[in-house]
Amino acid sequence: MENNLIPWIIALPFASAIAIGLSGRFSTHDKLDEEGIRKHRGMIHTLAVGSVGLSFLIAVKLFIELHNPDLPARVLTSHVFDWFDITIPSASGFRDVPIAASFVLDSLSGLMTLVVTGIGTLIHLYATGYMEDEESYARFFCYLNLFTASMLILVLGSNFPLMFVGWEGVGLCSYLLIGFWYETPEYAAAGRKAFVANRIGDLGVLVGMFALVSVAGSFEFSEINRAASMMNGEFTMGGVALGTTATVACLFLFLGCTGKSAQVPLFVWLPDAMAGPTPVSALIHAATMVTAGVYLCCRLSPIFLESPTAMTVIGVVGSITALMAASIAVVQREMKRILAYSTVSQLGFMFAGVGVGAFSAGFFHVFTHAFFKACLFLGAGSVMHAVHAHGDADIFKLGGMKKYTPITRATFLLSTAAIAGFPLTAGFFSKDELLLGATTIAMNETALPSWLGWLVAISLFLAATMTAFYMFRLYYLTFTGDYRSADHGHDAHGEEGHDEDAHHDDDHHDHAYDAHPHESSWQMWVPLAVLAFGAIAVGFLGLPHAFHLPNWWGHWMDASISHLPGFGPDDEVTNMTPVYIAMTLGVAAWAIGMGLATVLYREKNEDTFTPKFPKPVFNFLFDKWRVDEAYEATIIGGNRGLAKFAGRIDKSFVDTVFTGIPAFVVKMASWLFTRIQVGAVHAYGAVLLVGVLGLGWWFMYPHPTLDVQTSTDSAEITAAPGLGYTYRFDMDDDGNFDFPQAPQALEIDFEDDASRMQIQRVVARVRAAIAPVRWPNDRSALGHLKDRNRRIYELHPPTSEIADLQRILQNVDGVEAIHWHAAGHERVFGDAGNAAFDYNEEDFVGYMLTVAQADGSEQEMRVLPELTIIPDSFFPRVQFEGSPPRVGFDENGRIKIFPTATVNDAGEPATRPDSVLVGGVRQDEPFLLGLGSFATVAQYRMEVFPIVRARVEVRNAFGNTASEEIEIVLKESAPERVALGGEVRR
Amino acid sequence: MEIGLGAYLGLAMVLFGIGASGFLMRRNALIQLMSIEVMLNAVNIVFVAVNRFHPADHVGQIFSFFVIAIAAAEAAVGLALVIALFRIKKTVESDNADTLRH
Repeated sequence: MENNLIPWIIALPFASAIAIGLSGRFSTHDKLDEEGIRKHRGMIHTLAVGSVGLSFLIAVKLFIELHNPDLPARVLTSHVFDWFDITIPSASGFRDVPIAASFVLDSLSGLMTLVVTGIGTLIHLYATGYMEDEESYARFFCYLNLFTASMLILVLGSNFPLMFVGWEGVGLCSYLLIGFWYETPEYAAAGRKAFVANRIGDLGVLVGMFALVSVAGSFEFSEINRAASMMNGEFTMGGVALGTTATVACLFLFLGCTGKSAQVPLFVWLPDAMAGPTPVSALIHAATMVTAGVYLCCRLSPIFLESPTAMTVIGVVGSITALMAASIAVVQREMKRILAYSTVSQLGFMFAGVGVGAFSAGFFHVFTHAFFKACLFLGAGSVMHAVHAHGDADIFKLGGMKKYTPITRATFLLSTAAIAGFPLTAGFFSKDELLLGATTIAMNETALPSWLGWLVAISLFLAATMTAFYMFRLYYLTFTGDYRSADHGHDAHGEEGHDEDAHHDDDHHDHAYDAHPHESSWQMWVPLAVLAFGAIAVGFLGLPHAFHLPNWWGHWMDASISHLPGFGPDDEVTNMTPVYIAMTLGVAAWAIGMGLATVLYREKNEDTFTPKFPKPVFNFLFDKWRVDEAYEATIIGGNRGLAKFAGRIDKSFVDTVFTGIPAFVVKMASWLFTRIQVGAVHAYGAVLLVGVLGLGWWFMYPHPTLDVQTSTDSAEITAAPGLGYTYRFDMDDDGNFDFPQAPQALEIDFEDDASRMQIQRVVARVRAAIAPVRWPNDRSALGHLKDRNRRIYELHPPTSEIADLQRILQNVDGVEAIHWHAAGHERVFGDAGNAAFDYNEEDFVGYMLTVAQADGSEQEMRVLPELTIIPDSFFPRVQFEGSPPRVGFDENGRIKIFPTATVNDAGEPATRPDSVLVGGVRQDEPFLLGLGSFATVAQYRMEVFPIVRARVEVRNAFGNTASEEIEIVLKESAPERVALGGEVRR
Repeated sequence: MEIGLGAYLGLAMVLFGIGASGFLMRRNALIQLMSIEVMLNAVNIVFVAVNRFHPADHVGQIFSFFVIAIAAAEAAVGLALVIALFRIKKTVESDNADTLRH
């Protein structure tokens, strides 16, 4: 159903971003006083929070509307404008596929919109407190609003290209916000790293998109999903079969997801992305943007379900990511870094869920994760704000924060419980759904292999155990124990059991934090409280339906997301074993992880556990599995080497060939030309005179320079204009000038009823009788001058003599027709530059045989009857199995084709692709190819056109003449000039 | 005897040749200016003569007036240049006016 409110959800933050961004340059300290800046900031956060808040309200309204019983399809659409068309190949040639700026709000995009705008509002509000000391306040909120708008385009776009706009937009904003404090080179580098890693993935999205479009023939997600069953054909790229279309497309799309959603192998950018301000980490790098990959998989779930191969890859990669990132998080010592690896790990959970076909569960985890992870990041930010830590906070220099920041502590604890899977919190339910998805695959007959289910289930169990452990480690070390920065002289390094200086010597480890932390302002703790409530409560939306509990989530998603056949939210669960296993695993993971952390870290001030790991293991984990180092040594190092090599080529070869040599040539030429510039006036004058004489010489003689316009039966020849030129045309190569167009003959006004053409011929004949007299001085001989200026003469043709002659000739036996040959009219010139003429068979000189290929290229050959043709040269680009047809002449000089008769093994004529067809009939015997008709030879089309010959003579005011002879091919074509030895006669 | 067009053209040619050779052979800038005037007048003769024999309109005569007017302007500028040259070089030999070359 069409709904006009949807675009406003996007337009509001977008407009706000533009307004805030433009206002920023007028609000610097040199332009406004303190009061002015305060007012301006008030305007900024009213706009920023208000626009996203309003979007949230619209989204809520539309989401409620979506569940109107009158709307069974549960889809709201909005077509804003037609964007552009793209031409794609299809079975029947090419066709245009329209791409519209249109949006769709169904339960999937609707819930994502609620998350983006709802949590976005809270984080915007939080940021107004968190960024209060920031100089670039306007820039921050401009980027943040722009991010929100881009994310909403990504989510709501109803087709691939529009989604890609959002996809790139969030990538851009992510880059801008990670490098928000760009004065610090490490932060700017982190932004670049994120951008480059995402670009690699984006290539995959594009390739996947076009792979899908090539089969579905549409960019709309709904159309592509409808065509899911057609995706099982073989997909070839560059002639190499790569697998089914679904597999290829899904794997390429998943490459994009590994970039955007930080999976192995492209996850390395996300931990570094914590260089941005904390609200950015919460909004972009935890709650919304990084889940875009999961969103994409859910959006195209029918396609993914077509490819077990791709699903297996996704499940394995998700499991590896979950395990790997969790293991790294166990030993880290900075709050945001731990949370970052936790995010990577949780994203791995989601993809593992997608990989086992539990799209709905994966997206449920996106939803719950958005609450508790945003709350955790904001809580970390609140702690950092409280102790004035910049960039990140070392948990070993914190501790006992519950005394200083009670609200933060409470919300942090609730969210930690949720992410650890404390029963009945949001994380518990969503993680349970994911585990259930995995055990279902493991223990039931499905399209997916059961080992994948076991792998995912066990990986997720281990990762969840580690999650519970490191999250409570983080909580206890931060909020319980003693505040370890209270004493400024305290050296936090000394009490560690290991040599951490070898690993990091960042300057923020070197000095302790503010000795007197304080709780944050209401703008910061209100969002914390709301998010913490969400972290506890939203899990009840998706109660496990195996126990016949109300599972609203599954039913919402069922309208937009596909599921494995037989395992939907309405299907009765017959095999309860996987359910119990999943539940046991989930609870066990929480109990083990949290229990261990409580024993080891509760009210403790130092880490007595992880330093006891064997040193190589600890270092390996602490160095994040040394993935960055591996990339540096291989891909980045190789790239750098290549760049250096290319740079040397540029300096040595390119600079010599394209810069050095031309410069030398120019230098030599300029030396030569400066010799000519002697500086003496008379020398220049002499050269000038030579030039003038040359010009005069050129004007002494006429230059016809013909141009021809042909059609199938006539031709128009145009000669170049010139001073005092007169022309005459012999259009049919009979030696007579058919268009003398002498002005003294043509412009007379006769009172005779003879036609104009006849008079012309008669005049010519009369002149021949009087001849020889010189032209043009003999003009008076033609008659008497009537108008001197217009050079019109009055002629008196001997009409009675003509009549007599005609009578005599008609009585002669054997004379069928009388033609007045224009004897002696060679000396008559006209001043018209062009002439048209109709041709008939008598004017024929030869043939033009053209061979047109299927690809549109043409090959032409002049065929004059006396020439012998070597036909092989006609068919240079086709492979004939036998010999190609020959071209020759019959006894009358007409074109004759000799097809190559071929026989197969049985001795019968074989029909081959290179057979000669005329009018659809196959020719095995020699036949004549008529003018204008054509024969098909393999993929070629052979046509015959007549060639005629014409001659033009031009005379200029000095009485000099020049003539040019051309051959004309009579066919409809562009202007054509076939000058054959145009001779100039003087 | 009627004097034909050819005679006028011949006269113009001779005059133009005198002017051109004078311009090329003499080095005195004043003489060169005079030679240019002679050439211009040769052209004027052609214009007027052709107009006399093809009197469809009087473009030739009108054009010759233009040539005369421009020749006057050219003489004024040219003489000023010669004076300026003399002030710098203390000579009016055009061979010496090659400062731009060096």
